[in-house]
Amino acid sequence: MVDSLIGISILLPFIAGALCFFTKNHRVRAAIIVTTGIILTISSLMIFQNLNGPYLYTPETLLGLKVNSLITFADFALLFIILAIAFKLGNPLVIVLTLLQIIPLAYFELKMAPHVEVTPALYIDNLSIIMNLIISIVGSLICIFGIRYMEEHEHHLHLKKSRQPRFFFFLVMFLGAMNGLVFANNLLWLYFFWEVTTFCSFMLIGHDKTEIAIRNATRALWMNMTGGVAFVAAIIFIYYNTQSMEYLSLQALINHGPEVMTALLLPFALLCFAGFTKAAQVPFQSWLCGAMVAPTPVSALLHSSTMVKAGVYIVVRMAPGYQGTFLSTMVATFGAFTFLTASALAVNMSNGKKILAYSTIANLGLIIACAGINTPAAIIAAVLLIIFHAISKGLLFLCVGTIEHAIGSRDIEDMRGLYNSMPAVSRITIIGILTMMLPPFGALMSKWMAIEAAANIPWVVVMIALGSGLTVLFWARWAGIFVSGPHLKVFESQGKEGFFAPLVTIFKGFYTKAKWKDPASIKVPLVSLAIGAIILSLSVPWLYTFLVDPVLSCYKPGLFVEPFKTGPMGFTSGAGAFYVLPVFLVSIIAYLAAVVAAKQKDHRVFSAPYMCGEQYADIAEPKFRSHLNNWTNYVPANIYMQDIIGESKISYWINIIALIILIVLFGEVLR
Amino acid sequence: MSMNEVIAVLAAIFVAPIIGGIVAGIDRKVTARLQGRYGPPLLQPFYDVFKLFGKEKMIVNYWQIICAYMYLAADVLTVVLLALQSDLLLIFFVLAVGGVFLVIGALAAESPYSQIGAQRELIQMLTYEPLLILVFVGIYLETGSFKISDIIANYHEPLLLSLPLLFVVLGYALVIKLKKSPFDIATSHHAHQEIVKGVLTEYSGPYLAIIEISHWYETVFILGLCALFWHTNFIWMAVLLVVTYFGEVLVDNICARLTWRWMLPHAWTGGLIMSFANYFWIYEKIK
Repeated sequence: MVDSLIGISILLPFIAGALCFFTKNHRVRAAIIVTTGIILTISSLMIFQNLNGPYLYTPETLLGLKVNSLITFADFALLFIILAIAFKLGNPLVIVLTLLQIIPLAYFELKMAPHVEVTPALYIDNLSIIMNLIISIVGSLICIFGIRYMEEHEHHLHLKKSRQPRFFFFLVMFLGAMNGLVFANNLLWLYFFWEVTTFCSFMLIGHDKTEIAIRNATRALWMNMTGGVAFVAAIIFIYYNTQSMEYLSLQALINHGPEVMTALLLPFALLCFAGFTKAAQVPFQSWLCGAMVAPTPVSALLHSSTMVKAGVYIVVRMAPGYQGTFLSTMVATFGAFTFLTASALAVNMSNGKKILAYSTIANLGLIIACAGINTPAAIIAAVLLIIFHAISKGLLFLCVGTIEHAIGSRDIEDMRGLYNSMPAVSRITIIGILTMMLPPFGALMSKWMAIEAAANIPWVVVMIALGSGLTVLFWARWAGIFVSGPHLKVFESQGKEGFFAPLVTIFKGFYTKAKWKDPASIKVPLVSLAIGAIILSLSVPWLYTFLVDPVLSCYKPGLFVEPFKTGPMGFTSGAGAFYVLPVFLVSIIAYLAAVVAAKQKDHRVFSAPYMCGEQYADIAEPKFRSHLNNWTNYVPANIYMQDIIGESKISYWINIIALIILIVLFGEVLR
Repeated sequence: MSMNEVIAVLAAIFVAPIIGGIVAGIDRKVTARLQGRYGPPLLQPFYDVFKLFGKEKMIVNYWQIICAYMYLAADVLTVVLLALQSDLLLIFFVLAVGGVFLVIGALAAESPYSQIGAQRELIQMLTYEPLLILVFVGIYLETGSFKISDIIANYHEPLLLSLPLLFVVLGYALVIKLKKSPFDIATSHHAHQEIVKGVLTEYSGPYLAIIEISHWYETVFILGLCALFWHTNFIWMAVLLVVTYFGEVLVDNICARLTWRWMLPHAWTGGLIMSFANYFWIYEKIK
């Protein structure tokens, strides 16, 4: 049963993608996507339901063909397609990087170690299940969101011939590749799925075929290809250093004995490097920022549940393998550095999508830092952060996409007072923002765990502390911008709800007039992700017991100390405690009190904003009396600190320092 | 929940604002004397707040109400968690909730004064938050726990003796948190604020009263945090608190306002250097 569920998780998206490609009819395609999403979701839930303990599985044949040979063949086919594309692009760098994978891989498969058989080829434990749930649920919601979004997108572009079949082919296939990636135990299989995600992201980023789209897609391609080269090198070095095929199994690699630690250190470092490129860590951050040119579902998918999560997945997955080494400390340093610098870059962005992009990079940095800190508590923080970040970030991207279609801008300065015209979407966006930054929500709880776990490495904790201050800055002002402005049309339905007023207000907010007009395929993903973000945060103790705790079983028994105890209130650990429910209750009480206070009749509600007595009579218009009695508009704006930490100013230095950290990392590993 | 905990929670909710208000009164009195004035009566802050409650409810934007209440709730919870001797970092994060909602409330109003105030408040938060985390990490390195109850139970020396530099960092962060001169950049309790009243520009009447009360809770929280540095002896604790708070008032009165461009780099550099020096000291001691 689980066998076929795993098969569905990996193969169905490939098949559905192909169907999307050949389907001309828009409605049929939409039906295929929705059905695929539902089946994937159910199958991931059933895998979760049916599995206790790790599950090993080696598919022998598929349609009469040996799966192992099939993947080898597909791998080379893919690499040659990329090579052909590289020639078409005329980009020597991509050509070289592709050849650097084809030739060593061919040498390895044909000459060094022909007929590599690794059992089990697939290994499914709780970490895989968590990833599978995220990919299948969040990923499917994003694909469903894409149906209507792409229609509007092509409408805006005035395309003669729809290019949606191609778009959904890669978008849906991406989910299958990701599922394969998180289930794979055979490193060669893992490598294949790894390259499929690289290829899909290249095709999706360049989807609009504009000059900038192609340029950014090419950059994403070559940066991820460096990771691919490192991956191939890691596979070869594993075999060369140990002269054994045993360690081509990911599980064997992680649970290696101490005698092969030195032999495996370089492969670990190379695989971590591959993870860094895929997770867009500095100095590779530019590909993920460039990916913003793609339609919103692509950026949402790349940022939340797929692609970058593959990068952190491999680093977190291997963490027990390099525990206690110099490499581990360097990984922590590198991740924390990315967290700090990406947060700083996010502060000077006014482009909403770029804020999200840098915040993604920062959070991935934090996850990698946790993997490097490498204590059970830190790994828990990393896994929880993967979960919560996927949901909240997926949600925020979809929100920005919806807003962009409505107001024609993704600049946060243009979102001032959006609560007046788009209350529902604004409210959901604010929920998304708050779940990223405030207690008792999961993302912040993971950050709390990360800081406690990092406390023993002072320079890491300092970088995390500074970075976390910066994240508060850019999130808080964005949330504030939405509600900015005069609220003139509020409370049309005052008094109607009576006793249940506070409850109704929770769902409807203070403002009930503007209807939410978007179609269901946009509403459903937004609402379900928003609810998911809140509910999951509240059910953290449960989540921990059933999903995250077993992840730690890969830690060697001697090292294993139970880091957290869960209770009805939340977490307590040896070093601290985090109370989820009380914090949530107090927030709700305060919110209700505010609603009741706002509903009181004795309000003389509106006064004009203070303008030193030079206020324009109509308070809806932000004007003041300037020189010569002219009425002049005033425009509030955020402080972006571009003169101090402007992107163009500091990116160069950030890249250099990041390179130095990487050089030190490899230098020490090679010594 | 044990009886002691219930008492602690009730004290935190009901006694803390009274203490905070009296401290605010003393603050005003001392400030007046330093400026050569006679100063208001000790209970003037209470009179002010009662008067504010009686005023007409005027707002620019409904979100101000939510934000005022959330700010109060977060600050009350901060003090409650402190009284329950909870996790230092958790308390810190809850404190940050208050700050965030104060900013959102200020951004909700369209007035440019309030908007600039909000931006500056954010930068003030950005400045003091990392410093507070560094102080808590120092406490952890010295005592082995982030939990106040564990620290009190297992650590029997005054923290000040092993973390003197971090206490200075804490003092630095607290001047910024309390928005006292030279860091009264986002708003100020004095009448000489350059951007009218910054974040508080658009709050009036009962909602300003709520924010004022939250501020009292904050003061108590800050005093509690300082008290942790001499938790072994009540007399010394009291001396430490009096000296620290008087120091803050003194600094408030003798300094001119600085800009955030000065504050941010200087506070971070100074804070980092002192924190690292102190961490190094702890490591050496452990060896």
